[in-house]
Amino acid sequence: MALVQRALERRGFPTVSVSVARDVTTASLAPRAVFVPFMMGHHFGVPGNAALQRAIVRQALEFIAEATVSGEIRDLPYTWNEARRGSYR
Amino acid sequence: MAISESGVQLRPGLWETVNERYPGSMIRLADAVPLAQPRVALRDARVAFVSSSGVQPAGSLPFDVAHPVGDFSFRRVPSNSAVSDLEIHQLKYPTAGARQDLNVIFPIERLRELVAAKTIGSLTENFYSFIGYNMDPTRFQSSFAGELAAAVEAEKPDVVLLAPA
Repeated sequence: MALVQRALERRGFPTVSVSVARDVTTASLAPRAVFVPFMMGHHFGVPGNAALQRAIVRQALEFIAEATVSGEIRDLPYTWNEARRGSYR
Repeated sequence: MAISESGVQLRPGLWETVNERYPGSMIRLADAVPLAQPRVALRDARVAFVSSSGVQPAGSLPFDVAHPVGDFSFRRVPSNSAVSDLEIHQLKYPTAGARQDLNVIFPIERLRELVAAKTIGSLTENFYSFIGYNMDPTRFQSSFAGELAAAVEAEKPDVVLLAPA
């Protein structure tokens, strides 16, 4: 996916990815990413928590204008245990 | 084991695990791509979404999750699709959550809500989806990534959100 992201960035489109695998995102040098410590396949949180899903989308998009260095990864302030417990509503 | 501190990857060692199972399938890059700068504020931006989750319109050709070198094709997913008209064809990540609520991996309803709330300007007509199961990074880089990027470019987005599943 980082190769697609890099191709888009090269074409002039600002991009951001939402990562659950910091090591893969780091190795593949995605131009910008936000990281969430969630289970694979659950990048936007847990079923039924629309507020959390929406917040992650919004925070990822906001990072586009705030990143200063290519390859920058921002940690979003969530934990999987809290997400599963139903927090962040 | 459930490490869940903020900033700590829930499942450690994914990079090594994937390279052990599928040698040569992923490449380490060192050349940073210069950042493109947004030309409009987020509230005015047309947003595209690209996912490697294998989400696709029901009835479209299923992604080939069993081919020896993977599947190098993508699907257009209209951004006004009903979730009930979408399905997942991918085996390589847990889909338990997505099968209850597709938005955990493909937040199509949340993106529409952010347009309605005027947090973002609009959505591209189509979103794009493929599967991350591709065993030939050279082919992926030399043809597939460019083909998909060109398709996304044609949607005239201002910014692109991606979710590598």
